[in-house]
Amino acid sequence: MKKWFSRVLFVSLSLLLVFAFSGCTARPSASSGKSVLKLNNGSEPTTFNPAVAFDSYSLNPLNNLLEGLTRLDKTNNPKPAMAQSWTVSKDQKTYTFHIRQDAKWTNGDPVTAKDFVYAWRQLLNPKTASPAAFLGYIVQGAEAYNAGKGPASGVMVTATGSKTLVVKLRAAQSYFTNLISNPAFFPVDAKVAQKNPNWFANAKTFVGNGPFKLTSWKHNASMVFTKNNTYWDSKSVKLDQIDWAMVNNPDTEYQMYKTGQLDSSGVPADLSTKLFQSGKVKVAPQGGTFFISMNVKQAPFQNINIRKAFAYAVDNKQITDYVLKQKNVPAYGFVSPGFKDPSSQDFRAHNGDLYKYDPTQAKSLLKKGMQEAGYKTLPKITLTYSTDPQNQAICEAIQAMLKKNLGVSVGLANMEWNVYQSQQKAGKFQLSKGSFLADFADPIDYLLNFQTGNQMNSMQWSNKQYDQLTTEASMEANNTKRYNEMYQAEKLLINQMPLFPVYFYNQAYLLNPKVSGIVYHPVGYMELKWATKVN
Amino acid sequence: MAKYILKRFLEMLLTIWVIATLTFVLMHAIPGSPFNTSNGKSINAVAIKNLEAHYHLDQPLPVQYLIYLKSIITFNYGPSIRQPTQTVNDLIGQGFPVSFELGMWTLIVAIISGIALGVIAALKHNGIIDYLAITIAVLGISIPNFVLATLLIQEFAVNLEWLPVGTWQGVSYMVLPVIALATGPMAIIARLIRSSMLEVLNQDYIRVAEAKGLSPVLIVFKHALRNALLPVVTVVGTLAAGILTGTFVIEKIFAIPGMGKYFVDSINSRDYPVIMGTTVFYSTVLIILLFFVDIIYGWLDPRIKLH
Repeated sequence: MKKWFSRVLFVSLSLLLVFAFSGCTARPSASSGKSVLKLNNGSEPTTFNPAVAFDSYSLNPLNNLLEGLTRLDKTNNPKPAMAQSWTVSKDQKTYTFHIRQDAKWTNGDPVTAKDFVYAWRQLLNPKTASPAAFLGYIVQGAEAYNAGKGPASGVMVTATGSKTLVVKLRAAQSYFTNLISNPAFFPVDAKVAQKNPNWFANAKTFVGNGPFKLTSWKHNASMVFTKNNTYWDSKSVKLDQIDWAMVNNPDTEYQMYKTGQLDSSGVPADLSTKLFQSGKVKVAPQGGTFFISMNVKQAPFQNINIRKAFAYAVDNKQITDYVLKQKNVPAYGFVSPGFKDPSSQDFRAHNGDLYKYDPTQAKSLLKKGMQEAGYKTLPKITLTYSTDPQNQAICEAIQAMLKKNLGVSVGLANMEWNVYQSQQKAGKFQLSKGSFLADFADPIDYLLNFQTGNQMNSMQWSNKQYDQLTTEASMEANNTKRYNEMYQAEKLLINQMPLFPVYFYNQAYLLNPKVSGIVYHPVGYMELKWATKVN
Repeated sequence: MAKYILKRFLEMLLTIWVIATLTFVLMHAIPGSPFNTSNGKSINAVAIKNLEAHYHLDQPLPVQYLIYLKSIITFNYGPSIRQPTQTVNDLIGQGFPVSFELGMWTLIVAIISGIALGVIAALKHNGIIDYLAITIAVLGISIPNFVLATLLIQEFAVNLEWLPVGTWQGVSYMVLPVIALATGPMAIIARLIRSSMLEVLNQDYIRVAEAKGLSPVLIVFKHALRNALLPVVTVVGTLAAGILTGTFVIEKIFAIPGMGKYFVDSINSRDYPVIMGTTVFYSTVLIILLFFVDIIYGWLDPRIKLH
């Protein structure tokens, strides 16, 4: 019996050992002097078709494989990229771009003006069904074509020479050169795309023109980028290779970072407080705002003073300092910092805090509002948010502040995010969590959301003066005048208070100290062109 | 026998049709849209109209149902909505082999170690080794695999740095997920083997074998274990089904690019073609597995007749 037992034990142990040893040998060996950055993309990119991609899973990597006419520099300003230079007509509506003579695709084809015309028409083609198409509406004839009401030839993007591209805008807007750094405006090798409409689906067929090239792509598992030697500015590119994992569990990502399987990681919620206190977390601003939306079509928020009372009773600083604890900036205006007006003043600094936390005033505003609306007691109020521990913590804090400062009991309700989005768009909520992330780097992107009937306008607010100011600003060529209109519009929005802002978003991450030079734009996508890693 | 197989086959088709129809109804009953984005960005109305037309979602539901039935029959569910460059078949083709590999290793480890543990416990009945084996088995059953997975990562990957934390690139990447997944089934098998071994070891023919002076190894392996294995075969079918479908959490924790994530992610993002494709695919796999278990069982134990 003993002999038998020892045999089984021997077999099981040797099996275990085989596993363990193969483990040791399969560990990645030290790199051979190559500079390899190991990043996590979080998930499989939705698509690498620049016309359709519209989420960070696709655009963070794609931003480093392709390049548009302009590229954002380290200080978030658009700089010549595929376009070596450009001229602007007097009315600022016509741009003539001169594409670099040495601009090449990874297959050796030259990058031509036709490639841009092809790509932009793809973006706007209603059959492409691109969620990003609206970004192109600034081009004359674009909106009509996208809505199926005009021809492709009506889109005023034309190649007047192999390297000359002329774009006519429907309205002069100073942010145009910034906007076209967005991946939606990346060119496509037209010759390749016409032969193979699915050229972007695999590494073998992918043709790029950016700082890196797509060397391998195992769908839903990993990607490898290597330095693109045909890139016009390849001397600025220091990395040899980027290995992308696709890990969508924040704890696993963090543990892979801890053990050197990754060079960067997000901050897992459970460890957030500890990691922020340790000072290891880096923070970059993100163009976007967390706010609470008050539906003016639902009692009691039809009354402006009640809306204001709720806003004034919430201490945003306390939320950022003691609930979030992630170095976010509390918001007392809607447009996040980072947009300079013609006098080089920041939009946020110019308009400043448009209201402040004031529980005493909140109380008297509530009293006044209730008198105006004829309430003895307030109707039942529910604050709804999409299911998420952080949203819950913030909404519970707001609930407590409203109870303490106004004596109002607010109920909380949460919903799965997809249901939540559909219901919010339909204007079903009384009081709800709202969030906005900028699509392009201009205050107008923030402000257009609250025009009458806009999908983001879940508060169902409508104000003629606001609609007029924002529409004028989106058509105005004079930048000083345009900024003045936007300043007024934001003041009006916060004065009417269909929403109250809580804080501005940021991007928190952990980074291997050996890595530097990654640029996180507040509006835009991860930039690896200047990244370095010392071995 | 042929008649039985044909009958079971028709039943399988009916079952799949019922599952497919239920999935379709439930999927369209939950509110939300595949074109909502989780990052708060809103897609404009024109784009949503264009997208709905692209995926036939602008058609009335009965028409969508017919399109869907056709896609099941032709095994062509079209492209995923969330990953439009990949068809549902692509996703299954990439994910299933990985899940299958993980599941197979898990089964092998669970069966071998479960049998070993059960036999040891039975032979050392009421001794310290028995109690130890049973303690391990009870722990294995009661600790959820995701808790075990997290502990394994913390200890063997983060603290000791013996093994990688996650992803799927070779044998060393399989060890922790296989242990995490196999422990539960191993414990179930060990307990079954222990009790049926105890029963068999008390039978007269074992005593005869001992009296004849046969070596203990021969008695255990040739005479006792063979008969004790029967109940295990019964559970292995169900266990295999559980392992193949129940890997979602483990795949997520270890960042394994298997099929599990499509189940949950596709529902979160209302990716209709993927929801339908994965559900029909998995129910087919399960039904076929159970069918084979029935056949094998009848073949192993002639007392069970297949009618």
